[in-house]
Amino acid sequence: MLQDRDRIFTNLYGRHTPGLTGALKRGAWDGTKFLLEKGRDWIIEEMKKSGLRGRGGAGFPTGLKWSFMPKQSDGRPHYLVVNADESEPGTCKDREIMRNDPHLLIEGCLIASFAMGAHACYIYVRGEYIAEREALQRAVDEAYEAKLVGKDNVHGWPFDIYVHHGAGAYICGEETALIESLEGKKGQPRLKPPFPANMGLYGCPTTVNNVESIAVAGTILRRGGGWFAGLGRPNNTGTKLFCVSGHVNNPCNVEEELGLTFRELIDRHCGGIRGGWDNLLAVIPGGSSVPMVPADQIADAHMDFDTLRGLGSGLGTAAVIVMDKSTDIIRAIARISYFYKHESCGQCTPCREGTGWMWRVMNRMAEGRAQKREIDMLLEVTKQVEGHTICALGDAAAWPIQGLIRHFRPEIEKRIDQYSANPHSEPVRVAAE
Amino acid sequence: MAKIIVDGTEIDVPAEFTLLQACEAAGAEVPRFCFHERLSIAGNCRMCLVEVKGGPPKPTASCAMSVRDLRPGPNGEPPVVLTTSPMVKKAREGVMEFLLINHPLDCPICDQGGECDLQDQAMAYGVDTSRFAENKRAVEDKYIGPLVKTQMNRCIQCTRCVRFTTEVAGIAELGAIGRGEDMEITTYLEKAMSSEMQGNVIDLCPVGALTSKPYAFKARPWELSKTESVDVMDALGSAIRVDARGREVMRILPRLNEAVNEEWISDKTRFIWDGLRSQRLDRPYIREKGKLRPASWGEAFAAIAARVKAAKPEGIGAIAGDLASVEEMFALKLLMEGLGSKNIDGRQDGTVLHPKFGRASYLFNATVQGIEDADVILLVGSNPRKEASVLNARIRKRWRAGGLTVARIGEPADLTYAVTDLGAGPETLAELASGKHSFAATIAKAKRPLVIVGQGALTRADGLAVFALAAKVASSAAEPAEGWNGLSVLHTAAARVGALDLGLVPGEGGLDAKAMAAGGVEVLFLMGADEIEVGPGPFVVYQGTHGDKGAHRADVILPGAAYTEKSGLYVNTEGRVQLGNRAGFPPGEAREDWAILRALSDVLGRKLPFDSLSDLRKGLFAAHPHMAGIDAIAAGSAVDAAALAKAGGAIDKAPFRDAIGDLYLTNPIARASAVMADCSAIASGRVPAAAE
Amino acid sequence: MKDTLLRIFTWWNGATIGTLWHTRRNGEFVGEDEFGNRYYRTKGGKVDPALGVVRRWVIYNGEAEASKIPPGWYGWMHHKFDEPPQSEGYVPREWEKPHRPNPTGTAGAYRPKGSILNADTRREATGDYQAWTPGS
Repeated sequence: MLQDRDRIFTNLYGRHTPGLTGALKRGAWDGTKFLLEKGRDWIIEEMKKSGLRGRGGAGFPTGLKWSFMPKQSDGRPHYLVVNADESEPGTCKDREIMRNDPHLLIEGCLIASFAMGAHACYIYVRGEYIAEREALQRAVDEAYEAKLVGKDNVHGWPFDIYVHHGAGAYICGEETALIESLEGKKGQPRLKPPFPANMGLYGCPTTVNNVESIAVAGTILRRGGGWFAGLGRPNNTGTKLFCVSGHVNNPCNVEEELGLTFRELIDRHCGGIRGGWDNLLAVIPGGSSVPMVPADQIADAHMDFDTLRGLGSGLGTAAVIVMDKSTDIIRAIARISYFYKHESCGQCTPCREGTGWMWRVMNRMAEGRAQKREIDMLLEVTKQVEGHTICALGDAAAWPIQGLIRHFRPEIEKRIDQYSANPHSEPVRVAAE
Repeated sequence: MAKIIVDGTEIDVPAEFTLLQACEAAGAEVPRFCFHERLSIAGNCRMCLVEVKGGPPKPTASCAMSVRDLRPGPNGEPPVVLTTSPMVKKAREGVMEFLLINHPLDCPICDQGGECDLQDQAMAYGVDTSRFAENKRAVEDKYIGPLVKTQMNRCIQCTRCVRFTTEVAGIAELGAIGRGEDMEITTYLEKAMSSEMQGNVIDLCPVGALTSKPYAFKARPWELSKTESVDVMDALGSAIRVDARGREVMRILPRLNEAVNEEWISDKTRFIWDGLRSQRLDRPYIREKGKLRPASWGEAFAAIAARVKAAKPEGIGAIAGDLASVEEMFALKLLMEGLGSKNIDGRQDGTVLHPKFGRASYLFNATVQGIEDADVILLVGSNPRKEASVLNARIRKRWRAGGLTVARIGEPADLTYAVTDLGAGPETLAELASGKHSFAATIAKAKRPLVIVGQGALTRADGLAVFALAAKVASSAAEPAEGWNGLSVLHTAAARVGALDLGLVPGEGGLDAKAMAAGGVEVLFLMGADEIEVGPGPFVVYQGTHGDKGAHRADVILPGAAYTEKSGLYVNTEGRVQLGNRAGFPPGEAREDWAILRALSDVLGRKLPFDSLSDLRKGLFAAHPHMAGIDAIAAGSAVDAAALAKAGGAIDKAPFRDAIGDLYLTNPIARASAVMADCSAIASGRVPAAAE
Repeated sequence: MKDTLLRIFTWWNGATIGTLWHTRRNGEFVGEDEFGNRYYRTKGGKVDPALGVVRRWVIYNGEAEASKIPPGWYGWMHHKFDEPPQSEGYVPREWEKPHRPNPTGTAGAYRPKGSILNADTRREATGDYQAWTPGS
């Protein structure tokens, strides 16, 4: 159980004012100048020591990422880009930060920019987040007014921060697509290499970080990397915002230690599963793009990067989607498939053609209007998409279906049997002509 | 250089090579759709996936990964790439299946059939069945102009066309809208593309989504006989392949020639072929009582002989046109010499260029490939986009590479790259030559300044003076690079450099084209000269291919062969001698032009000393040895700057005018072409460029 | 003489001797159509045991060619009508054209444009270019 004194986001629920005065009372902007004076290397070292892993889904160590930025500028400016394009279904942590604790984010931007030698920071806010963008902009304006950021701020590091509003494409949450979109182009992922740390925004060294990863930086540095590393489990340290949704009695966003068990998370914060633990069917533990984990495997699993990877899933953004036995699991996955079909950018072939195909087959399977051999075919199609695309959206589209087939194959077969047992005006198609 | 092991073969390749290039260098074939050597890398078709040992456990797009980015093995072994492993085979089959699920099975009615990358690669790398049981995607066809036909169901979204139009052609008119499987290639508002190089997207399209509209459903690639030839639509002499069925030219495609056109050709070159079959002169005509009547060759020759014999030698003149090959101009010159006339001119546009100033005075000395080395380009009275579209693309390529300043003295126009306008007329040039203009410093600093002088500056009365000034500007670099000659003349006619090389200019006391046309001679021989207005006086013998201006004025018409119907040498604006080949025979009773002159000379009693084309060439090569060096540029004698300056005289204040008014209607073949008429109408805004 | 031989040895130049003999002995004349073909049936309308119906036949006027039979008589021949067309009151529809035998294999057969069997001379093949004519 995370102690209240160890919470980073102390205004997560918006019970206090999000404005600068409130933020100062809660400890934001406390000794930021002192932190900067300790120097870039100290900051990066401390971040590495904290073991903070990126909160955007992939879990790449943040300190390491910062250290990839060239130490000396070769004449090109450096940029920090904050990925606030939080579009993953089930995820709603960044919006709370932007709404209620924006100053932690802004302070984090300053520190991170300083650590990587950037004088400008862009926050790319999701298109649908209108109130959040306004809240964030208000906070940025306040910070400018108080000379906390700006060309000649009190911290002595010339620094500008821009809030950019996206247009609502899921793919723009991919770092290179976000950079393209920020440059004013069509949001399509770039080929890697070159990586953004070398050739990013406008061809300059750029680091793209999640809102949460940046927002925790100030507190980590103030309390020391050791403090953060002391929370959680080895290699999965610190606190994390969990977004629990679905069939729990009390869906909520909550900051918790990484590595607590699923049962603890649900019982302590969400009032248990709807209809009791026996009613639990499956959980998608990290946003729609990770495979689901069936009830018996997830119930006492630790909610952290490594344990969930061991279960064939992932922590992702820690958007826990709980499904009880009333869920039509096939339809649920078919809906997720539709989302990926709709959000595929269309740049590379496997994703463009594969997502539509998978969705159509899933749709038929949800009805049962399919052949059993098509289950294997579908699995093979997901394998053909996975790993063959430019960005990870192809993988994200493939994994939920793979999870479904891995754990609920008998369910699909039962559905098909049911359908073919009943008379239909439209018979099951035997072969494609 | 970096070492890399491809399928077990270790090779040395430059570190900046992509894996795809490295694999090709090692002899391993890698299929691809979106990758093209001359376009930026998109990496979106995913067909070129290969396995890289030691990397992530998934295949890598070989077109986008460079050899430099590969990590060596743990003990410093070279990186290992596999192109035939089971993983690669599986990946290719997967991608191919995805490409085919929404691709219609209409190969039997598709114009790309037989030369389709998708067809070929599906055979080589695909599987033989489909597992796709859903409905296929349907995409509405788009209107993108009168030249390119779209069949958007077939599109595989490789975006080659988008990259070509934005990068090479320099128009941002083609793009993709929608995302995911709804992504569609379009000109957004379905307007016609405005590029004069848009036809190249037909070649680039790996499937049948973009095909040639005039060629639609006309022929199949395997039934065409292919002839490698040279284009005559502009003075660039692009390498082309003429595809003919019987004697009908069905289409024209570009050939690879790094020195001239890379692999692009202009729309005029590509779509001219329908002009080759309309308005053709297929029998001799004689004007009797003011009316032309069909005649036999004998009658026509007799009519000419009667007039020629009645005329004094100085009353006979000849003008060679824009599309004439070197051989027939040589024959014409010999014939005129035989008749004792000095009235001969191969410069119907009235350009002031003259071989007496040295061969270098009328060539594009920097060469087309040399454009890529230039650091400053000054355009004098030239609009390369119209005069030589492919050359303009070369300038744009150089400009995109960065570090190039382009300035212009002349009519402002959009050339698809940034141009600084210095002024409109010769006065600015004079300022520049005297170093008073601010831009003079830029040229002085340049290592390889390129001054492109267009016919817009040279066909004026003060042309020589302008040319002398341009020559001075071109040589005003303080420290020019070794061997660099930046003074470059951009011609507009394919025959012009050949004519100047042969000395088709009036002899001592002879009349030039303008004087002859104005009535200075009694008998005027027009060899394909249609761009000049002939006054009422002379008896006009027109030898040509199309019923155009010259034929309407003619008193005797001798039907000749068009450039696809004869073998002939052409010298392009750089001075490069190139050989065009015969793809088919001339229509009706028309004959090859040198043979007509040979037969006519017999009737006139001045028999030319050759009986075959090879005899003629022997004589030609003896008189002009550099003509034997096909595909080579003979070093010309240097510009006689002193003579130029002396001949110069005063400059006029009038601004330079573009040499070409309507790009699509510059010669008789183009004027006979319905497709060119459409293009011209759209370009001039006479018809709306949008669909319906 | 030639006629007789043809009669004996061929069946297509009118009815064979056997048919004529059979018609003489067993046939009952029923009617004649506009082309002069004569239709018969078994005398007295006796049902043929092998066929199960009355045998009906035709003796062509000239060459034996089944498509010479006009629609009305065609119906009678195929037992669509019990009575011959005249007595049935058979009237052709107004849109029916006068009957024509199948001309395939005859001089009257359809020849596509450009067929070398056409009577008129074929145009010279100059379609691959369009010639210029003065004054146009």
